[in-house]
Amino acid sequence: MNKSWHLNRRTFLQGSGVALALPWMECMSQAAPAKSAPKRLASIYFPFGVSLPGSKSEYAQWNWFPEVTGETFRFRKSLESLEPLREQVTVLGSLSHPAGRKMGGHDTGDIFLTGASFRGADYRNGISLDQYIANHVGEETRFGSLVMSSDGGVGEPTRATTLSFTAQGRPVPALSSPRQIIDRLFGTGDASSQAQRRLLKNTGSMLDLVLENSRSMKNRLGRQDQRKLDDYLASVREIEQRVKRSTAWLDIPKPEMAEEVANLAVDQSLPVEYMQAMYDLIFLAFQTDSTRVATYMLGQVAGATTIANAFPACLGLQGNWHGLAHGAGKGDGAEKLGRFDQLLTSQLSRFIQRLSETQEYDGTLLDNTLVFYGSSNSKTHNNSNYPLILAGGRSLGMKHNQFLTPGSHVPLSNLFVTLLDAMDIPHDGFADSTGELSEVRV
Amino acid sequence: MLHRILILTATLLVSVVSAAEPDLKTFRSRVEPVLKQYCYDCHGPEGEASPRMTLLDPDLYSGVDGETWHDALNRINQGKMPPADAEALPEAERQIVVDWLTTEISGATEAKRSTGGKVVFRRLTNYEYNNTLRDLLGIEFDYAENLPPESKSVDGFLNNGQVLGISPLQMEYYLAAARLALNKAIVTGDQPEVFSQVVQKSIQGARDNSVNGEMLDGRQQFIAGITRFPRAGKIRVTVQAYSVIPDGKPVPEMEVNIGIRSDTLSPSGRLAVTEVVGSEAEPETLVFEGRIESFPLPGKNPKYPGIQIRLKNLTALPEPVPKKGEPRPPSTEPNIYIKSVTFEGPIYDNWPPQHHINILPQEGVEEAGYVERVVSEFMRRAFRRPVTKTEVAKIVDFHNSIARESESFEDAIRETLALVLISPEFLFLAEPIEPGKPGKPGGLGRKVQSLTEHELATRLSYFLWSSMPDQQLFDLADKKKLSKPAELELQVERMLEDERSWQFVRNFTSQWLDLSGLHRIAINPQYYKDFDERLKSQMAEETVRFVGEVLYHDLSVLNLLRSDFVVINQSLARHYGLPDPGSSQFVRVQLQGHENRGGLMTQGSFLLINSNGEDSHPIKRAVWILDRLLDDPPAPPPPDVPALESEKEDLASLTIKRQLELHREKASCNSCHRQIDPWGIPFENYDAIGRWRETGLRLVRGQAVQAELDSHAKLPTGAEVDGVVDFQKYMIEHESERFARALVKKLTTYALGRTLEFTDEAEVSELTTQFINNQYNLKKLMIAIVQSSLFQSK
Repeated sequence: MNKSWHLNRRTFLQGSGVALALPWMECMSQAAPAKSAPKRLASIYFPFGVSLPGSKSEYAQWNWFPEVTGETFRFRKSLESLEPLREQVTVLGSLSHPAGRKMGGHDTGDIFLTGASFRGADYRNGISLDQYIANHVGEETRFGSLVMSSDGGVGEPTRATTLSFTAQGRPVPALSSPRQIIDRLFGTGDASSQAQRRLLKNTGSMLDLVLENSRSMKNRLGRQDQRKLDDYLASVREIEQRVKRSTAWLDIPKPEMAEEVANLAVDQSLPVEYMQAMYDLIFLAFQTDSTRVATYMLGQVAGATTIANAFPACLGLQGNWHGLAHGAGKGDGAEKLGRFDQLLTSQLSRFIQRLSETQEYDGTLLDNTLVFYGSSNSKTHNNSNYPLILAGGRSLGMKHNQFLTPGSHVPLSNLFVTLLDAMDIPHDGFADSTGELSEVRV
Repeated sequence: MLHRILILTATLLVSVVSAAEPDLKTFRSRVEPVLKQYCYDCHGPEGEASPRMTLLDPDLYSGVDGETWHDALNRINQGKMPPADAEALPEAERQIVVDWLTTEISGATEAKRSTGGKVVFRRLTNYEYNNTLRDLLGIEFDYAENLPPESKSVDGFLNNGQVLGISPLQMEYYLAAARLALNKAIVTGDQPEVFSQVVQKSIQGARDNSVNGEMLDGRQQFIAGITRFPRAGKIRVTVQAYSVIPDGKPVPEMEVNIGIRSDTLSPSGRLAVTEVVGSEAEPETLVFEGRIESFPLPGKNPKYPGIQIRLKNLTALPEPVPKKGEPRPPSTEPNIYIKSVTFEGPIYDNWPPQHHINILPQEGVEEAGYVERVVSEFMRRAFRRPVTKTEVAKIVDFHNSIARESESFEDAIRETLALVLISPEFLFLAEPIEPGKPGKPGGLGRKVQSLTEHELATRLSYFLWSSMPDQQLFDLADKKKLSKPAELELQVERMLEDERSWQFVRNFTSQWLDLSGLHRIAINPQYYKDFDERLKSQMAEETVRFVGEVLYHDLSVLNLLRSDFVVINQSLARHYGLPDPGSSQFVRVQLQGHENRGGLMTQGSFLLINSNGEDSHPIKRAVWILDRLLDDPPAPPPPDVPALESEKEDLASLTIKRQLELHREKASCNSCHRQIDPWGIPFENYDAIGRWRETGLRLVRGQAVQAELDSHAKLPTGAEVDGVVDFQKYMIEHESERFARALVKKLTTYALGRTLEFTDEAEVSELTTQFINNQYNLKKLMIAIVQSSLFQSK
């Protein structure tokens, strides 16, 4: 009998790539300093909400929200790593997207930055805050935006693995591999700038030709298929735009990185190192002014189907993220989830700290950067009272050192409007906003 | 026999797919009266509560109130409606409303998703893209590495046209991948210098403090320092080694990694894992090949130059290190001895290499029309069909426009062919409508045409190989001979003989059975201290090999339900408590005794995926069986359902079965769960990692305690089964037809790359009957699918 289909008995190659911590790098000079300090926004999302035991519970100290509202607020354990930074931080409670309250408890990650209303078969998301900003300032940097998530890609509707959506409501695929991201940000390739120019010119005419040739094909496709082809064509056109932009960027070299960067190899099986790497990438991208907006979706709410769901277990905490969140109401579950909340916050604190220690223009990186962090669940499945943190942006007129609860009738989009104002981005409201949230500004 | 089949066909016609139209009759006659009596007081014209139900459109298919109805269903299910102070809804009435709403919602969802029974113009999946480039260019490489990960369709398959979209980022990476691929395929200049180095001594005292050497026990590793290496191209690592295996110990497995040294951890990638036999007198020569650019390479001016080849013994357990000055006692573990490691690269069989000549033949280079010939031949293969002169001319025009400015002739050709590789005809499986060709009526009022010969060749090769057609399929299509049923049968047989058909086994099995789920479950070390994470991929491999065994050896697929053999390796045998098969490779082992193994439902993959990493999870196991094996998935749980509170002390003392019974005392839970839970109970004797157990395990206040377990279940069909063997018997005796039908549907869905619809039911039933008559033979089923009009029309 012919055995050609048998696999080679001796060798079977398995997935290569070994998870390792990365030697961290120092970033060298900046490419082309902007004339005035750039204004930036980093948005970070985590799924499943936080631990919220009652004030009489023996675990009350693990309630995510601070004690006492206003300026005299006191951090509890989950946020305690922010204490040294309290002058730069505002904690927000009570806010949510009204549209999200009508959606399934697992469905609201998609609209965290869009505030859009979508339900049922007519799934259509809106533009996300970061992409809205990118559309206005994206031309000023090499990359319009930096979109990252632990799971990568786009996921599926209501279980998106990205926070960012285009003006058409289409998901922007997130990058998940630190190595890949670093290559995009700082990779030089080996082509000289002239060769690169030629490549870009070729690319331009290739794309033109593809567009032209596809037109004749379109006529022979059914309606549904035409829509698929339209997606393809839209993508090609977008690349064309990008090629034009890149051609303009060509005379400006990418920022240089120390050699060690080439060894960048960490993945999601080491959650702490991985999250650090992702935050560090935002830091580097901002510091080098490679982009002004960045999003990072720490995890998505698909429970069993997401990589980040295993983060707590990888850290020795019992169970998966979803299970941890579910167990928060029972026994010492509040403390267990609280400890994980605490760990997530410490990563955020480290990031804010780094921004605050880096000088630029007349202040620090943090002074010109807004950091927006939170979840679209309070407790798991509960789509109101989002746990939110806003940090940085002193030069943008932000007021901090307070715990605010503007009320459950206030849509989260009002905060987005205020952030757009702070960044001087023209707008006509955002999603379902009803006004601004002036309390966060001086 | 005839009698039995007639009955069977009758039951098969009772479709599990809901009819494609709203059932307003039931609403008027049965549902509305219930609503009137129990809901309209508040939710009617006189009431104050929102929504006003009398205004809701009961047509969920074309109406706008589907979501509101869905909310209503959830509230009724959760027992929130009617509220406690209103007249309670009696169970029978509740059931009427719930049943109607559930059917309508799922029917309406399906109708909205419908593509009219047509395969959607679909992009290649990442793995198909990778395989296609490999076959097109003749170079094995991970081309799809940078492409964004893909989403699953509702059926769990990755090759469903509806979920395969495209985005600018993806487009950008396609272009980059095309250029990269052609840079590998087409070479310039003279043959690069070949680096070659033989290493006989390991680097000593690496940074993790281990003593390295030429003997690989459970602690030591061999590190070959390679000073000169290429940065691209095929490399070869040749290892001379032998092993010393004490009696009763397994053959040791050796891992070969390539990586670099750094200050912290040393990144590396795996080249191969292999078992080592041989003896000191006659050592083995093991040869491994790969592409150097698949591995971490040092930077341009690194602190630690060079690369390292690291060899490890994966089998031997670490033995205690003797105290200083004391002699080392004889080892009782299987150890590997390394005589030498040879590194060579970049390797070419000749120059220019064959993959270059395949694209740029050496003859006629100077002749006019050479570029046309090159482009035309490449396009034909890339587009998987004959190409027209006009199509070729446009691409050649592009070539001519860039040729002068390009650095070399090869460079211009690379760019030109990259253009072909980002064209929709390559990236998508296109089956355009042919004007003027006759067709027959299909779904949604559209016409169905038969495939062209080349489209058929393409469907066939992506079904069986997840890649492009080979020359023989092209030739048959050119001669218009492929669509003949006898030829199709011959081709399926031939293609299954080819190693590429493992792509079918692997992709279909892992998507159908959700094997990627293994990596979504984290095993809690509090319960399973010694669980080896590497077992997870071996469990997936076991299931893939097992399905392969059934396919390639013409066994009945009922073996998937229960088999008297397993396909395992040493470590899985140890894990399952089965006798040692004597090999670290997967082999078929006939079971003697060991009744609790055999069939998919006793494999680690199924048992682990459907656990919570701590204990068995009967509900998940049940849902998996209903969904994957019987194609009867229960409705998804309503939002806000509480989890089982097994950590509550009063519950912790109960068996899981008993806990589930308590859970079902709530009517709203019961209506779904009485249909679900019993299907998972028979597997209670398997723990979360798939080992057999006689008693349960529970964690109370952080302490693991023994607990009773109960695997006796009364199925919704009325049958009683006691444990897994009994359940398997039940499945074979009473559910084999349903299983056959489910498999037909899953396989057809995969073969077509689209969700099956109402209009496909008749053909599915016919295929099922035929499948059963053919003694559940998988190969014959695949032939029948390929010969069916479902497969052959567009």
